[in-house]
Amino acid sequence: MAVARGSGTLAPVLLHAKDTNATDDSLVRLDGVAVGYDRHAVLRDIHFRLRRGSFTGLLGANGSGKTTLLKTLLGILPPVAGRVKYEGDNRVPTFGYVPQRESLDSIFLFTSLEVALMGVYGRVKPGRTIEAAEREWVRECLRKAGAVETERQRFSELSGGQKQRVLIARALAAKPDFLVLDEPTTGLDPAAAQSIIDLLQAIHREGKLTLLMVSHDLLTVRRYVQEVIWVHQGKIEQGRAEDLLTRRKIEEVLGLEWS
Amino acid sequence: METLREIFSLFRNSLCISLLVGLVCPLVGVFLVLRRLIFLGVALPQVSSCGIAAAFALHTLHIIPHLEGSTEHSLAFMGSSVFTLGAIAALSALERRGGGLVDGRIGTAYVLAGAWSILLLVKNPHGEHGLLERLKGEIIAVSNADLALTGITFGVVTAVLLVFRKELLLVSFDREMALTLRKNVRVWDLVLFGAIGLTVSMSVLSVGPLVTFGFLLIPPLMAHLLAKTMWQFMLLASAIGVAAAFIGFILAYRWDLPVGPTDVALLGVIYGATFFGKKLCRRSLALKRPAH
Repeated sequence: MAVARGSGTLAPVLLHAKDTNATDDSLVRLDGVAVGYDRHAVLRDIHFRLRRGSFTGLLGANGSGKTTLLKTLLGILPPVAGRVKYEGDNRVPTFGYVPQRESLDSIFLFTSLEVALMGVYGRVKPGRTIEAAEREWVRECLRKAGAVETERQRFSELSGGQKQRVLIARALAAKPDFLVLDEPTTGLDPAAAQSIIDLLQAIHREGKLTLLMVSHDLLTVRRYVQEVIWVHQGKIEQGRAEDLLTRRKIEEVLGLEWS
Repeated sequence: METLREIFSLFRNSLCISLLVGLVCPLVGVFLVLRRLIFLGVALPQVSSCGIAAAFALHTLHIIPHLEGSTEHSLAFMGSSVFTLGAIAALSALERRGGGLVDGRIGTAYVLAGAWSILLLVKNPHGEHGLLERLKGEIIAVSNADLALTGITFGVVTAVLLVFRKELLLVSFDREMALTLRKNVRVWDLVLFGAIGLTVSMSVLSVGPLVTFGFLLIPPLMAHLLAKTMWQFMLLASAIGVAAAFIGFILAYRWDLPVGPTDVALLGVIYGATFFGKKLCRRSLALKRPAH
């Protein structure tokens, strides 16, 4: 378990994440990083690592700094202090990012295929058209995500679950080393949420991808993820799902009381 | 036919410039609508006309010297471009710093530009003549050189928007995704807003602020009602713009009206007809569906 210090709070133990010299299978490592906006730190002195091929849940109450941490990992926000280190030669991995679907404006008249095609833009030079082979690959990703039948439909008119599948296909189209999902099941009915999680689990198993998922759905997280990172009161706590998703821990972090 | 023949023989350049504005402004306006920056489409032409007024005022005061070979058009283009691109840069910088209301800043730019345009014009001897007409959207005397400059500028803008459509749409639709794909979103923003600034400057210079914001906004809004894909959205916006510019020019000539306001009024009529036509279509389709 790795724990980072929050502002003004003492950290408990720090295990593997502090051990920066160890040869390991880390894909991403944060050592003493502070994250936030406009030089204002939301989380300080963060230490943790993500193992290559792991499926990790990033959990915490609303406003705890989960999304800020996620955006820093992805390179969307620069760290306020410290550096995000990537595997061995510090090559930035290829990210597959699934944002919250509500953040995408419905004024854009994109079809599902056009949205999914954006995943390959990282490999296509500016001003160049997308080659047939790449288009076929994107269709394959849509097929894998169970959204190929929607390819001609307008993205903004799809159901929440269908949109999520298209966004997962888009992320897969990038041929990522690291798949990052921001609340993929929020707002979905239980059946749709379950099918999305099943899909993610299949992707994780087949592709040996590293997955990091922000979620509020603790039941789902507990059943499927291997590791958990809690963000709570400016602190980061990382460990195995079975250790950190106990009733006591959840009550402590979220201030819930279960009968 | 006779009217068309007269227009082509007497006002060929004016008609061409109207059609160019009708073609390119809606294409640029599509990006303003997609980025929900409609107010910017209203404010920038006003800022641009303020730039023209300022350039003439500075010229009258001999602060900008008369350069050999320079024309009134190039002086106006310089003022218009400097003010428009400067306003875009200032508004972007303020947005990056955060705080305050975006709409508030754009609204302030609009009213200040409007007020200063008038103040600079009333104290300028040019204001009584060509300059005021230019800002009112009277498209009468257009030289070959003016037409060529407009054509080249709009050609470059159109090429940029079409060639880099993929990148410009990505940074507009999902900025964070673009960042994770290691796209330089600031450079693409610069390209887009540079194209918007150049189009607005040239268009205000040619047809005035009223016509410019009319063509920037109304055709894309109308096209959005009808289009099913992004390509249709762009092509329809431009097609509506060209059609309105052409028909508006003919109506203005036949009824002896100023071209610019006629074009905008016509766009308004077509927009209203499209809106209500679409509503009627939807209602009749709903009635045809069998009740469960």
